[in-house]
Amino acid sequence: MFSILELERKVVATELCTNCGSCQGMCPYWKSEKGRTFVDYECDRNEGRCKYFCPRMPADLDALRKKFFADEDYLPEIGPFRGLYLTQAADSEIRKNAQHGGTMTALIKLALEEGFIDSAVLSKASEENGTLNPEGCLVSDPADVIKCSGSSFQIPNSMAVLNKALDEGKFSRIGVVGTPCKTLAAYKMKSKPFAENDNNADNIGMVFGLFCGWGLDWEGMAKFGEAAHVDILPGKYHRMDADDKQIDLDEVLPLVRENCKYCYDMTAEFADLSVGGARSAEGWDVDKKWNQLIIRSKKGEELFKLAVEKGILNVRDFGGNGTEGALAKLKAASESKKSKAVKAIAEKTGTADNLLYLEPSRDIFGKYL
Amino acid sequence: MEWMTTKNEPGKTYLMQGNEAIVRGALEAGVHFASSYPGSPSAQVLGIMGRIADQMGFYAEWSTNETTALQACMGASFANARSICVVKQNGLLVQADTIHCGALGGIKGGLVIVTSDDPDAHSSTNEFDSRHMAVTANIPMLEPASVQEAKDMIPYAFELSEKLEQMVLIRVTTRICHGRGGVELGELPEKRPFEPIGKWDRMIGMNWLHSFLLEKLDRAKEEFEHSPFNHYIGKEDAETLIITGGTGMKYALEAIDELKAGDSTGVLSLGTLWPLPEKLIMKHLEKAKKVLIVEEVDPFLEEHIAAIAGKSGLKLKICGRSDILPKIGELNPDVVIKALGEFLGVEEKSCCGSGCPAVESVTIPDRELTFCAGCPHRATFFILKQALRRHKNPGVVFGDIGCYAMAPQRAGQFGVHFMSCMGSGISAASGLGQLTKYGFGQAVVSVCGDSTFFHTVIPGLIAAKMNDANILHIVLDNSATAMTGFQPHPGTGETAMGQTAEKISIKAICEAIGCRVETADPFDVKETMDLIYEMTQESGIKVLILEQPCATLAAKTRKKKKIWVDTDICRSDSCGCDRYCSRVWGCPANIWDFEKGCAAIDEVVCVGCGVCAKLCPAGAIKVEGGDE
Repeated sequence: MFSILELERKVVATELCTNCGSCQGMCPYWKSEKGRTFVDYECDRNEGRCKYFCPRMPADLDALRKKFFADEDYLPEIGPFRGLYLTQAADSEIRKNAQHGGTMTALIKLALEEGFIDSAVLSKASEENGTLNPEGCLVSDPADVIKCSGSSFQIPNSMAVLNKALDEGKFSRIGVVGTPCKTLAAYKMKSKPFAENDNNADNIGMVFGLFCGWGLDWEGMAKFGEAAHVDILPGKYHRMDADDKQIDLDEVLPLVRENCKYCYDMTAEFADLSVGGARSAEGWDVDKKWNQLIIRSKKGEELFKLAVEKGILNVRDFGGNGTEGALAKLKAASESKKSKAVKAIAEKTGTADNLLYLEPSRDIFGKYL
Repeated sequence: MEWMTTKNEPGKTYLMQGNEAIVRGALEAGVHFASSYPGSPSAQVLGIMGRIADQMGFYAEWSTNETTALQACMGASFANARSICVVKQNGLLVQADTIHCGALGGIKGGLVIVTSDDPDAHSSTNEFDSRHMAVTANIPMLEPASVQEAKDMIPYAFELSEKLEQMVLIRVTTRICHGRGGVELGELPEKRPFEPIGKWDRMIGMNWLHSFLLEKLDRAKEEFEHSPFNHYIGKEDAETLIITGGTGMKYALEAIDELKAGDSTGVLSLGTLWPLPEKLIMKHLEKAKKVLIVEEVDPFLEEHIAAIAGKSGLKLKICGRSDILPKIGELNPDVVIKALGEFLGVEEKSCCGSGCPAVESVTIPDRELTFCAGCPHRATFFILKQALRRHKNPGVVFGDIGCYAMAPQRAGQFGVHFMSCMGSGISAASGLGQLTKYGFGQAVVSVCGDSTFFHTVIPGLIAAKMNDANILHIVLDNSATAMTGFQPHPGTGETAMGQTAEKISIKAICEAIGCRVETADPFDVKETMDLIYEMTQESGIKVLILEQPCATLAAKTRKKKKIWVDTDICRSDSCGCDRYCSRVWGCPANIWDFEKGCAAIDEVVCVGCGVCAKLCPAGAIKVEGGDE
């Protein structure tokens, strides 16, 4: 079967496609528009990078993890784990526009300055429509990182930017920042699944994961109009904030991208570091200025230590039951997403015997059925 | 070759194309007025007439459509001028209302309509048989069996037309129009002066003239019993009779010769096909036991002759296109030989048709119809499909008639969903576009060429505006009536007789109607695609005029750019390209070098438009020099 057709049938037609962009930026065939990935003309190759890089094509995720992460660091609930911290950017300028504590923005800036990476694939609000139409971008100047802070709650096809940059070969240590679907794709790429063409995957530098509950449909996001900053408040508030507008989550949830229902990963398990919103004992007024940070690899640890050493990041205690308590909450939340996803897939396929992209990893996910 | 048509050399024979013979016939009839809208296979007729009109002292014009052309002829006829109107079968259908009403009112100066049918639809969307129109409109109809007759029938038709005060239809087919034959010239007469329109002269088509209409037809029938265009060839009083109409005669004679059946068969070749000369036909039917009817496309003669035989109580076996000849498509010697063999019970001994080893051993590669190298339509449909695929629910495209009628095929990326007759795209799109107000969720786009715009699109556009349809209408303005051979149209700024005319602006018309109008160049691939995408998201009626001259025209005036492939950069058929230029873009000049395994440019075919260089994912196609 044509590679392009296989991907269309197994991922696009099944509504698994996250619009991450991993199939794009390498050829004239795969495109993306308003969060939707499509093909306009057909490629007639049976083998192509697109189907091998796609994070929603079946793959043995356990084997993939073992290739890149130490087995002793593995926590089944949240993936490779070398530490959990509550952090924020020390620079208040960064915190001003960033999501929560601005940890990711500060880390990427530092990674660029210190040569951990020589460029970074990020996403930013589009010049025309603000948060309504975010797009991927490649940044090599540390000063530009701050322009990409904040979340759009959409999934722009930024991996297309990575693919294009890898293809061009101008940078050799490209950092990737993305939601779990994107970071999984980055590790698929690093594993060089397509012998004929690895798309210079060795030039992927560090991978930075963003916690993700779900992303919104493009049209759904239009509800907020142009907004500089969007956030979801913790469970008890049950609402989403966009600048000064507030929308009840009951109105927002029907606009969640269909594919997000089938995503098993909340904490971006394939990454050197993963960053998300804080959930401390002290509540939202404090949490909204902090992030949770999971260290997953030695390289990630190295960067984190340097950031603390240089005073780039502030670190504080979780309070309450401490790190252990925070980790337990995180594990529970992560498992809840896995469980929902696996059940949703089984419901979609109509059989517990077909878990679509998770099928080769049934050993891990079968227990959630 | 129009010089042959103007020679005043009675008795001399020239080898002429059928279309030239028609022109000559009109000159020998002393024609005053000629009007047409171009359509293959008879598009050359008015082209030639326009070029010789000044020299030969008559008037010729390209009209905006076939009905305006015929109505112009009727106006000239009022002053006793002889007028000829030349159309193809679709054009005759466009004229249907005018013919039916005009036949009631009758004519003054002779008026002859030449309609060219296209059996097998070589350059048409259908193979409609024009002969049916004569029956419903109750007007006389002739069909020549040879190029000589195509010439001779015209003066005859004019005489008949004036005698009956009725328009006369002459049906020709592709093989007459494009075939060649010896034509013996007649005299070129002095031009007859016009007559003033008298106080009580009238050309008014009203139903109280219905009986006069039928009376004229009866007189035509009487006339046709003795017409020189009905011949009998072969064995007298033959029991095996072949009746032919038009080119059927040549096929029949060849088949008889091939099967050596000349001693037993007779051929009645009819040139006056409506009304049929019943007495003449009966004279031969009475002697016959079985009849084969050979004619192009429909079993027209077959059915009417069967009716004549039936009314007279004759018991006859009548065969033809309803049974032993193919029901559709164009006749050729092979199929007529096969059918006649079956009809006579003789074994076919042909060694030059299908089944012949010599013929079967020749393999011809399949070649599909496609746009020329550098054709702006290729870029337009490539862009259009991409722009519409960007929509969540990809848009729908309504096509129309012109070169771009090839767009539903690979040439246009299979990007057209609807196509019917001239002018239908805009109106059908308008209908579907209305449904977007009631929940239909796809963008609706129609396209038309510049000549088609003037032909029948304008009323559709006005209707769409009046009813506020949600559509994007794209005018593919290539500054030419390209499909039929670059005839002038209102936007080109010249007339059939070579005079300069004020160009009529499509943009100004659309703006006057009140549409949002944009213009763009289909060779600006990205900008035009974004514009189409933007316009298809806006509600109401929008018009986009895509301006880029026909490549065949442009090649004559522009300095050609050199296009070449840098084989070091070309990604060939690897992941990331997969022969995007030759396989997807599909311009005949983008070829695949099988030896090197990479893309190449066929320099002979390439016109240097450079669009492929813009599309190449690797930037391997280079452009050097030339004009923009």
